[in-house]
Amino acid sequence: MISTLFLTQLQILINEAMTEFSAPDYLPALPEIFLGGISLILLTIGVFVGNRITTLLTWVTSLVLIAAVVIILSLNINDQITFGGLYIADTFGTFMKCLVLIGGAITLIMGMSYVKNEGMKRFEFPILILFATTGMLLMISANDLISLYVGLEMQSLALYIVAAFKRESIRSTESGLKYFVLGALSSGLLLYGATLVYGFAGGTSYEAIGNIIESGDLSLGLLIGLVFIASALAFKVSAVPFHMWTPDVYEGAPTPVTAFFAAAPKIAAMAVLIRVLIGPFYDAFDQWQQIIIFISIASMVLGAFAAIMQANIKRLLAYSSIGHVGYALVGLASGNEEGIRGVIIYLSIYMVMTLGAFGCVLVMRKRGQMIENINDLAGLSRSNPPLALVFSIFLFSMAGIPPLAGFFGKFYVFMSAVNADLIGLAVIGVLTSVIGAFYYIRIVKIIYFDKPKDSFDKPINIEITATLTLTGIITAFFFAYPSPIISGAAIAARSLLP
Amino acid sequence: MAETGFWSGYALPFLLILGYILAIVVPLLISVAFVTYFERKIFGLMQIRKGPNVVGPFGLLQPFADGLKMLMKETIVPAGANRNLFLLAPIITFTLGMIGWAVIPFDEHLVLADINVGILYLFAISSLGVYGIIIAGWASNSKYAFLGALRSAAQMVSYEVSIGFVLVTVLLCAGSLNLSEIVLAQTELWYFIPLAPMFIIFFISALAETNRTPFDLPEAEGELVAGYQVEYSSLAFTLFMLGEYANILLMSGLCVILFLGGWLAPFDIEPFTWLPGIVWFFLKTAVVMFLFTWTRATFPRYRYDQLMRLGWKVFLPISLAWVVITAGALHVFGWMP
Amino acid sequence: MIVEQITFYIFAVITVISGVLVIGSRNPVHSVLFLILAFFNSAGLFVLMGAEFIAMILIIVYVGAVAVLFLFVVMMLHIDFSKLRAGFTRYLPIGCVVGIILLVELILVLTTGTVDFNIPKNVISQIPNPEAISNTEALGNLLYTQYAYLFQIAGFILLIAMVGAIVLTHKKRNEVKKQKISDQVNRDPNTAVTLHKIETKEGGTWKSD
Repeated sequence: MISTLFLTQLQILINEAMTEFSAPDYLPALPEIFLGGISLILLTIGVFVGNRITTLLTWVTSLVLIAAVVIILSLNINDQITFGGLYIADTFGTFMKCLVLIGGAITLIMGMSYVKNEGMKRFEFPILILFATTGMLLMISANDLISLYVGLEMQSLALYIVAAFKRESIRSTESGLKYFVLGALSSGLLLYGATLVYGFAGGTSYEAIGNIIESGDLSLGLLIGLVFIASALAFKVSAVPFHMWTPDVYEGAPTPVTAFFAAAPKIAAMAVLIRVLIGPFYDAFDQWQQIIIFISIASMVLGAFAAIMQANIKRLLAYSSIGHVGYALVGLASGNEEGIRGVIIYLSIYMVMTLGAFGCVLVMRKRGQMIENINDLAGLSRSNPPLALVFSIFLFSMAGIPPLAGFFGKFYVFMSAVNADLIGLAVIGVLTSVIGAFYYIRIVKIIYFDKPKDSFDKPINIEITATLTLTGIITAFFFAYPSPIISGAAIAARSLLP
Repeated sequence: MAETGFWSGYALPFLLILGYILAIVVPLLISVAFVTYFERKIFGLMQIRKGPNVVGPFGLLQPFADGLKMLMKETIVPAGANRNLFLLAPIITFTLGMIGWAVIPFDEHLVLADINVGILYLFAISSLGVYGIIIAGWASNSKYAFLGALRSAAQMVSYEVSIGFVLVTVLLCAGSLNLSEIVLAQTELWYFIPLAPMFIIFFISALAETNRTPFDLPEAEGELVAGYQVEYSSLAFTLFMLGEYANILLMSGLCVILFLGGWLAPFDIEPFTWLPGIVWFFLKTAVVMFLFTWTRATFPRYRYDQLMRLGWKVFLPISLAWVVITAGALHVFGWMP
Repeated sequence: MIVEQITFYIFAVITVISGVLVIGSRNPVHSVLFLILAFFNSAGLFVLMGAEFIAMILIIVYVGAVAVLFLFVVMMLHIDFSKLRAGFTRYLPIGCVVGIILLVELILVLTTGTVDFNIPKNVISQIPNPEAISNTEALGNLLYTQYAYLFQIAGFILLIAMVGAIVLTHKKRNEVKKQKISDQVNRDPNTAVTLHKIETKEGGTWKSD
């Protein structure tokens, strides 16, 4: 009978549902429920009031994101699975969610003046960011391939839209379209991989897949599925060779959106990659380690070399972010608790530096026009010394110069690689960061030693000043008080590993 | 499974089914013919004139004379037309008008295919109706035809949404997607009483779905000179006509099944139950059909923006709200079937 | 059941052929129509599998709504096919090479027996009873209990898509006059119309005040 297979599947699912169903425990998902509910309320308000409420909505949205951080931290749930196994709340998720939420809130606040000046003042902007952030939280908390996929789609769809948000700008539209087409491709890869995994493992939940692999039944189909899923997630974190979209999208999208892309979704996707590989596919470590090592090396090398030739600061930061993903993946490649801790530390520091750097890009405005050329930074040290100082701090930190924060990030991942006998990987990492230092320091040189051009518009508004001060202080004085992030990351990493 | 011979296993059932189909389609086509006659008679009466009265007694043979005239004409395919699609379009419309009847229960157990998802099947069939029109409009390679087709596509897609919600409400109340069970669920109370607003929305949306006045913009003779049908003649045109009227009858039938208790007698007492269910079904369908005609004779055509406004801004919210209200009421009062 | 098998093969063959023709036909409108045919036959296959609800939904959603809009767009656009086909011959060799490599790989994988196509034992554990519960009911029971979480998120995704379509395309056009029914209804004849008594032969000299 042709119908047997389909009906069998259905019947099993029905039996599961009918026998075991009782109302799920909603508490672990409270932050997501909160964000989802608020987003609907804000959307309704926006529709009725119109675009004049945009600024207020932006503030409210960032407050809501911060409130979600408070909720997550006060719940402090460790290892609870709910919604019939579709959703997991653990310390790892808590840490990553907080990062994503803070990143989202800061970019919203930071970009407010840009949104106002560049004709993007439509109330949907903060709400789409809110939707995207909610999607990221869902995706971090996914404990099943289906919930992973829907969370991923929710965040991606909102991101495609905000990338093209400046719709009268051809570059913005182009970047949105490019992101959409390639993002759809990666979603296709993910679905294809998930299908294979489902077929060969007999279930979509991480637990079921993990059990199958643990029992030593790693069939070829499952492995191919794993490769597809890893590729799709590598696309989302923009690791080489799935990075092609990154420079174009980062360059074309409105700057606050680019900042958001670099901060929040990347961290969320990284969290998902870690959870998938360390969770269900943990026992296939030998298989996926090769993949991670390869994309890590490729990303580091490309990030270091391709950025050298860039004249556009957003493009340069795009290549730099590709490189950073490579460094973060070094930690994942070692695959132990120390490595995961390194990745988490790296991502936290990366987020702070990136937000700061994009804050500086947002200040680059002459006579009301946004500019993105690196050479326009020339002589910044004379026209605006504090800005020059803070920008240099971020650049030095990204280059990994001690004692700035970026150095510690690299230090922890490389240490974990060395301890996991991946000395070659660590050496390549150090070499590429030396090469990478070249282009970061070139910008510092332009800022401090080149002939001054006319200065940027002043005054810099208060939101960006506050952001730059905050991120600058964290980056510069991380060495003085690193314990919250490092111990937090250690707890998060411990909660993830079996 | 026991061995079955070719004759008893395959050929006989096949012939039986063929017989059933003919038993539905032939009366259907004849009634379509007379529907056009009655429509013209009603127009005549409403406009204080006589209507057709020359061919046959009371003009009863008029539809056949018209049909014969159509068939005698030459089938013209315009030079720039896409020949295959041009001829495919009327066939699609005609076929869709016919196959919907497969699931209509004329009486208890008197139904060709008593499938589980009858209502969805009908919804699917009605949503396909747009293809005949849009293909005709495009394949004609004529501006008027194309404009008509575009209007019709937009219109049918829009009104399908509210029809969908109406169907959801009804099947919430009936607790089944099977048309016979929906009728049986109305034994106590026909749904047009508790669901009066939905009945009205369904009726108006059915007008729009079948491109009838006041929603006949796709063929608006004043501006589009018959719209998508402008290039058609002879048999192809006849097929369009037949399909369209069969569709209208189908929608009337659906209306009867969903809201007017199908084959059930109005009261379950002596004089009413003398008539068999199938007669009640036909009577009710005729009443709804009369409503269609009455509307056509009474109302002027909607403007396009008004049509869209009505569909999206009036019907959609109301029907959506009614789905919620109905579901809430069913849940709160424990009436859920 | 020979009838079932014959029907299956008819549907399957037409699905595959129309699938090929979707990418093969010269005219984009024909492509869309073949796509619709493919949907139809897949719906037929679903019915054969006993999944009548999915079959109907496939027709209602994909054929009745999505493909109509496809057709709409394709008919409105003038796609220059000679331009699209310009690169075809140039990329043909590379395409062929990739195709052949994939084919060889597939053959290698399939013939060496490295892939076990038997479904793992833990997948099929119970014998279904399709008579006990109808398809629609079964899906509903799952969708609103076990998978309610996913159902809700799917709703959010659709909402985002809608918001996106509006954000990216909707333009407020001020030059277009719109009917405001409330204004029309609220119009007061006393303020809109004034009556004047004009004396005979005075009409030419009368001026409004």
